[in-house]
Formats: sequence, structure tokens, C-alpha cells
Amino acid sequence: MKKTLATVWLDGCSGCHMSFLDMDERLLELAGQFDLVYSPIVDQKIFPQGVDISLVEGSVSTNEDEHKIRMIRERTTMLVSLGDCAVTGNVPAMRNSFSVSSVLERAFGDAPVNRPEMFAGLPQLLPRVRPIHEVVKVDVFVPGCPPSADTIYTLLRELLSGGTVDIARLTRFGA
Amino acid sequence: MTQTVDVKTLKIDGADISARADQTILEAALEHNIAIPTLCHLDGLSDVGACRLCLVEVAGTSRLFPSCVTLVEEGMQISTQSDRLQKYRRMTLELLFAERNHVCSVCVSNGACELQTLGQSHGLTHIEFPYRFPKQPVDASHERFTIDHNRCILCTRCVRVCAEIEGAHTWDVMGRGETSRVITDLDQPWGTSESCTSCGKCVQACPTGALFEKSQVGTGSKKKPGFIPFLNEMRETQS
Amino acid sequence: MTRTIIIDPVTRLEGHARITLQTNGEGEVDSARFHVTQLRGFEKFCEGRPYYEMPMLMSRICGICPVSHLITSAKACDAILAVRIPPTAAKLRRILNLAQIIQSHALSFFYLSSPDLLLGMDADPAERNLFGVARANPELGRGGVRLRQFGQQVIELLGGKRIHPGWVIPGGVNAPLSGQTRDRILAMIPEALSITQKTLAWYKIRFESFREEIRTFANFPSLFMGLVTGTERPGYYDGKIRFMDATGKIVADNLDPAKYTEYIGEEVEPSTFLKSPYYKPLGYPKGIYRVGPLARLNLSERCGTPLADQEWVEFRSLERGAVLSSFHYHYARLIEILHSIERIHALLDDSEILGTHVRATASINSLEGIGASEAPRGTLMHHYRVNEEGLITWANLIIATGHNNLAMNRGILQVARHYVHGDKLTDGILNRVEAVIRAFDPCLSCSTHAVGQMGIDLRLVNPAGDLLDRATRQ
Repeated sequence: MKKTLATVWLDGCSGCHMSFLDMDERLLELAGQFDLVYSPIVDQKIFPQGVDISLVEGSVSTNEDEHKIRMIRERTTMLVSLGDCAVTGNVPAMRNSFSVSSVLERAFGDAPVNRPEMFAGLPQLLPRVRPIHEVVKVDVFVPGCPPSADTIYTLLRELLSGGTVDIARLTRFGA
Repeated sequence: MTQTVDVKTLKIDGADISARADQTILEAALEHNIAIPTLCHLDGLSDVGACRLCLVEVAGTSRLFPSCVTLVEEGMQISTQSDRLQKYRRMTLELLFAERNHVCSVCVSNGACELQTLGQSHGLTHIEFPYRFPKQPVDASHERFTIDHNRCILCTRCVRVCAEIEGAHTWDVMGRGETSRVITDLDQPWGTSESCTSCGKCVQACPTGALFEKSQVGTGSKKKPGFIPFLNEMRETQS
Repeated sequence: MTRTIIIDPVTRLEGHARITLQTNGEGEVDSARFHVTQLRGFEKFCEGRPYYEMPMLMSRICGICPVSHLITSAKACDAILAVRIPPTAAKLRRILNLAQIIQSHALSFFYLSSPDLLLGMDADPAERNLFGVARANPELGRGGVRLRQFGQQVIELLGGKRIHPGWVIPGGVNAPLSGQTRDRILAMIPEALSITQKTLAWYKIRFESFREEIRTFANFPSLFMGLVTGTERPGYYDGKIRFMDATGKIVADNLDPAKYTEYIGEEVEPSTFLKSPYYKPLGYPKGIYRVGPLARLNLSERCGTPLADQEWVEFRSLERGAVLSSFHYHYARLIEILHSIERIHALLDDSEILGTHVRATASINSLEGIGASEAPRGTLMHHYRVNEEGLITWANLIIATGHNNLAMNRGILQVARHYVHGDKLTDGILNRVEAVIRAFDPCLSCSTHAVGQMGIDLRLVNPAGDLLDRATRQ
């Protein structure tokens, strides 16, 4: 029976997803072994229950990200933090040296407290950008910025067949 | 008149080793191609036991010993690879990564960093300790060099190479605990230092991307500290 | 009964977005809004970083177009160094830029939009993805993968890495091109050309089935903006800014990209992290303009390479004056892929391309630098200010996708008004509302970067359109 796979991007640049697509034709080959039940590249709007493997890119930066990752954790058997943003915070976490209001002021010329209607309905930036495992339990960590397509292919192939991978042999922070 | 050399015999990981009495466990191990991870040790400089990566087990006590500053003793039975040591090494490395802001992906030393290499060789794929994300400054006041304190691991190799090899002692450490920082002269911008000779030895001695040359752009610039023991030798033959 | 329809998330595009539609008592769409829901704050947290780190840092704005940020950032740093980079380096950067355009356009066309184009807007959502395309038309699916792969491999061969390559640096590039690598790339070109031409041939027949979409997908008069070279061709790496109106008349020409604040203003709209740039002399919102493939093909006299020029003539014959339907971004993308492959070939045959002098060195000679280039989605600008020590004190980014914000919002409204009526809300209809955004191929991770604090005019209006509040800032 095919495993169900989901891919999600939180606060990332989508580079890890591009690296996923960089498997090129190997992706089409592997596709026979999984059902992509949720992903930015498919038209499923609701994250389903009972997902076998979820690849999550990006750090947790807004209240929406936090809500999402908790929901994903609940509905996933094996949660994979994909890429440095998810694993360490990486570049998005560089804003942690600055206050949220200074970031918003720089971007919009004014602070949300003065203009609440401007930000109505938008996610709130958390005071600190965090890696995923500081919010929920993570099963597999794949560092890299982004992890190479070869790494993702090896990992996915093993996970789909129920095997294990020594990730540190394949990739590292900043790879 | 000959000097008798006091020789000690001991075991490291089961292998019989002989070493001079004035040698440290680390020196003896390196001479016999036994690898012990280090960060604050640099060939040619004095050892300070700051990073605690070189801790080893000695039979007969549960205490761990920093091998870079512990002298060999007759009959010592040392092990360098136990599970306990591996665990502590990973913990040390994780704490180093978590303490400041090590953003490998955009760092000038990405791919050529001792902290990063040790992390990977010890199987680190993530940091379990919560990241502190402290706000740390960048001092780019020097004409040729920059220091990014986000990347500094306080190994003090810069302090020692400047004091012991160049002789200027421009670098030192100020503060305690989490407020510790390497400073130049009287904690002033590096560019205003009166003692700095712009020799660049500190840059080459730095294991991470904390100290770097302004002309180094891109990533993966390798440091070349091999000149340090060479300079030592040249000085010894001249005196 | 009024109703709010929310499409969340918008799928098959890059970044985070949702769409809200407001219907009135008769079930007709009253208002539509496109919300971008991600902001990382690059312009703030790069303050205090050494300027020569900016290319690597800015690359992380986007994983699809990192090369565009690398190049534009490096150009801004070149200006701070006040250097003219060696000609070989400029040509190598050009090749990288063109490879980027190929892979990004291929991603947009084949991975994100071809499910709609091949299978139809009303196709089963479970099939509307790359895998469904590969099942229904294996040649098209596989061709798309191979074409994107070509672009990515050129980047990898030149830059060392497909995504976030550190090869582009202030002053030039890090390493020259070897003859061996050049030959490897040349060998890959025939397949890439063949796939592109086959796809164009297929698409020129296929798009006839989308008459209604062509009519309604952000099809309205607007200005167009982009970089044009001195020889009247799209300037992907270099050029001067040109504005053209819907009739094809040039409204402003030869503008220095470094003086963008003189002719581009921006507006803050509520409920989106994406701001709306407009052409200042015409004010907001009349000054709406579009950038990207459609704009670039409208703005120039020709592409400048033989196969692409043939296609370009056919493309321009779609309409008198400028081509206005945003649906035709898809067609324009294919032509740009063709042109980019031809141009890469020409550059690889250039006598200087294997030159070894690829970096100009200097220290800070200017406290301000502005770089501009054409990213796949449109004109991109990076503007930095540094202190005497070379630390960034201020950074401003004008992101390609951001220019299209007004057009995208208007596009959704146009599509929604045409297709959404009362209780007739099918998946296909909602898909069309998303598809109009996909036509623009927005890069939303990139786009949440403001033009900055220049004459912001903030207006708050009630449903009746009355002005409730207004704030201006100089």
C-alpha cells in the first residue's frame, strides 16, 4: 500500500521544496510509491488525517505557523524538519535580534499598534522565530540550505520503504 | 652533559604508549595518531582547556580530564571513545551552537569551519538545547578585518596567538559567563586599537567565521594557521 | 444575503496567500482581495551586516529565484565598490540570470499551471498537479521536468549549487568558466530547445480553448514596465527603465533604475503584507502597471534571437498595441524560455566567456548602491546604504512580484465578478480565481518587502466608499 506524503512550507523561502523538485525525473519515479495528499503543488486545501510522512520546510514565525505545525504534528506519523530554517531557525531567525514592531515599522512605515486595521486578518509575527522542534516533537532532522536533491531522494526512498538513514553522513548545517 | 628524559608508559584506548613526562595526554595521543576532538587547542599555542571537547576518561576515577592540559602519568589507562564521552562532546558542541547565532548558510566560513565540521563528524543534525538568539555586535572598524561576535565561540585562540606569537596582546576577554566577549585593547573598536599590528594572525587562528578578512567574500574561505608552529620553530632556532 | 468566500491557501503558487471574496445581497461579487500572509523582515535584520555578505543573505529571500537576488544584490554592492566588473564576469552573470529565467518559467508553466492548461480549469482537483499532467501527457510532463532541470543544471555547473549558489560576489564572480563545463552546457542545449519548441507548438493550439479566461483574466489596460537595452531588447541583466501604455505608446523611457523613487510610489493596503507600487506621475490607482514576461515582450521592439523573434511577431499579433490579457503571461513565458536558451548559446560561443579575470576588487567608494535586473517575474531592485565601515544601515528592496500587486487584485475581482454568481460556486470557478494569480506567477516569499517610507498615503474607506481616515507620511 502506498504511503501518504505531505509537504508543507512554513516561514521559509521554498528552496527546500525546490530542492525536492530538483530530484527531477526521480520524483516522477518515486511518485509511484506515495500519494501526495497535501502540498503547495497540489490542490488539496485541507491537511488530512493520518499522514504517514510530512516534510516541513521553514521556521515557526507567526501564530498561524504555530497553529499549523501543531495540527500537522497531530495528523502525522513521521514529521521531518526539512532544511535549516526548520531545523535551526536559520535566516528568518535573524530577526530575533530586533523587536517585532521595529520589523513591521521598517516594512510599513508604521507600527500595527497605531494602525490595527492595517493588519487585521493577517497572521501575527511571534516575538521569536523558532525552529520546529521547539514547538512540537520532530522525528527526523534534515539540515541544509537547502538539503540537496540527492539527500532528499535518499531520505525519501528509505522512509518510503521503512528504512533508516544516517542523516549526518548526507548533509550538515548550511550545506 | 646529557639530560635524562623522563619517560612515562601508559595506555590509550588499550594501546601501549610512551611519552615524555612533560607531555600532555593530548600531545601523546596526537603523536600516536589517536584522534581527540579539540577546538581551543591550536598547534603552536599554549593550551587552556577552555572548550572541554578534549575530555577523556581515566581508569580509577569517574572524573573526566581535559587532555590538553593534563600531564601524562605512569600507568594511566585512558579511554577516548566511550559512549559517555561521545554524549558529552555532542552536548558541548550543541551548547556552542545554541549559545550565539551560528547561521551557517550565510557565513563566510561555511564549509571551512571547525565548529561545523566537528558538529557533522559527531552526528549532529539538530540542536536540542533552546537557541538563545542573543543580540551580538559586528565590529568592522578595522581597515582590513571584521569580527562578528555572533560566530565567536570564545576559544581564545585569537587572544593567545596575538599575545604569544605576535607579542602585541591586542585581544583579551572581558566579562563573565554569558556576558564574556573578546575585546581589543581597552574594549574599544578594533580600528582604534593602538597595539594591533594588522598582522592577521588572529584571523587565521580563528576556527569559525567570527574573524575574517574584508576581502574574503563568498563562502568556504579556508583559514591557514599552519604558520604558527613554523614561526615557533624559527624563533627557537634563532635564540 | 452577503457572504464571504475564503480561498485558503491558494495552491500551486510560490508563497503564502489567501483570497477573500465578498458577495452582496444578490450573490454578485462586491470586492475581492488577495492577502499575502508571510513577512520575514529582510530589510530590517540585514541592518548591521557587512555589505559583502548581502548577496548570500538576500539569496535566501527566495528558493525559486535566488539567482535574481544574488545578481541584483551583487550589482548594488558593485555600486558601493564603484567598480566596473570585468566583461567576462558580466557575461557569466548574464548566463546565470538567463538559466534562472528558464528554470523559473518552466516551474511556473509546467509544474504550477500546466495542470489547468492541459487538463482544464474544471478538472478533478486530485488530478490537477504535475503527476496528473505526467499521466495524461507523459511527453509534456517529462519535458517540463527536463526543461527545468536544464536551467537548474546550468546554474549548478556555473555556481556550484542549484539553489543559493555562492558564486556571484560583489565585483564579479568567484571562479571562471572552464572549457569543459562550457561544452557540457552546449551539449544540453538541443534537448532544451526541442522541448520548448514542442511545447510552444502544443500551447499555441491549446490556448484557443481558453477564450473566456483570456477575456477575463486581468485583461484591462495598464502601463507596462521593464528594463530595456539600448538596442530595444529586453534587458535581463542590464538596461534602462521604460514605461509603456496599453496602446503601445512609450510613456517614459531611458529612466535610470537608480532613481526609482522619482517615478515609483507605493501604497499600503490593509490586510496584506504586500504593498502596491504605482507610476507616480499618474497617481494611485491610475498608475497601475505590470511587469514580467508579458510586459517585457510588450516593451521591446524584438527579443534579439532568431527563433524567439519569430515567435514574438506571432505573439504581438494577438492584439493591436500591447497584449493586455494576463492569461498571455503563459505564452510570454514560453517565448522567454526560448529566447533565454538561444541567448545562453550565443554567450557560450563568445570569445571572452572563458576569460580568467572575473573579479574587480576595491573597498568602499560609495555609501550607497542600487542594483537592478529583470528577475523572471519582473524588475527587481536592491538599494543599500552603508556606513564608513561597510555595515548596512538601511536596505530597500523592490520586488518583482510587488509591482503586480494592484493588477493581481484587480484581476481577481474581474475573474470573480465574471464567474462567481449567487450560489453557483463550483470548484472550477474557485480554481479560476486562483488561476488568474497563477498567470502572474507571483513569488510571494520575495514580495513581502516594502518599497519603504516614501510618501505613504493610507486610506480607510467604508463599504460605501466614504473616506474614513487618512494618514500621510513623507
